[in-house]
Amino acid sequence: MTDLIERELALPAPAADVWRAITDPGWLTGWLADEVELELRPGGDARFLIGDEVRNGWVEEVSAPSENLDRGTGCLAFWWALDDEPASRVELILTPISERETHLRVVETRPLEILDLVGVPLRGHGSTRYGPALVAA
Amino acid sequence: MDDERAGAVFGALADPMRRRLLTTLSEHPATATELATKLPITRQAVAKHLSSLSDAGLLERQRAGRDVRYHVTPAPLSNAVSWMAEVGGQWDDRLARLASTFGDQDRA
Repeated sequence: MTDLIERELALPAPAADVWRAITDPGWLTGWLADEVELELRPGGDARFLIGDEVRNGWVEEVSAPSENLDRGTGCLAFWWALDDEPASRVELILTPISERETHLRVVETRPLEILDLVGVPLRGHGSTRYGPALVAA
Repeated sequence: MDDERAGAVFGALADPMRRRLLTTLSEHPATATELATKLPITRQAVAKHLSSLSDAGLLERQRAGRDVRYHVTPAPLSNAVSWMAEVGGQWDDRLARLASTFGDQDRA
């Protein structure tokens, strides 16, 4: 079983604003983490400081609403992990409800946990690029 | 885990107070009375939440004299469950902060 968390909410703002809220490091420090470094391209580095914990990761998918003009949806997917814990994947998907309201769906999954159970070493990977290699394997 | 069981687990975890109870119990087994002193809800409300967590197979009961002590079901389930409880709680907090940056205090 893949560990999965899913949350949904409607925000009173246009999709373009919500996109900035989930991708702009300055805005992200207001709700996601205390310090955020996010290289907005597939394979880009990500680093989050939350309290005294550092989460390192990488960006898997970046798809801004301005690139999806027909439906106006946006998607940001990244991986993150504390040094000694299995990595998890975070997907933030936004869909316009109206010009002033946007639906945001958050899914965090830990699909690599199964590898951990069968003894594939995943702990202690630190900031190494554990993600792409394992996903491709 | 079959679908019905998974449904019961997710249903039990959908409530923030039940996730909080589960997190508390994962740190230290406790009775309903002990939990009620630590949390802002009545013993009756605690007992009701404990019963749905038990029905989902997330908690086990252990007699302690006249009382019943609850502890989180051992691994491997508890590993996934405590992850879901912890990470779910983190997202609830983050999304409440995000909603409040849009001036919607009601969602916080």
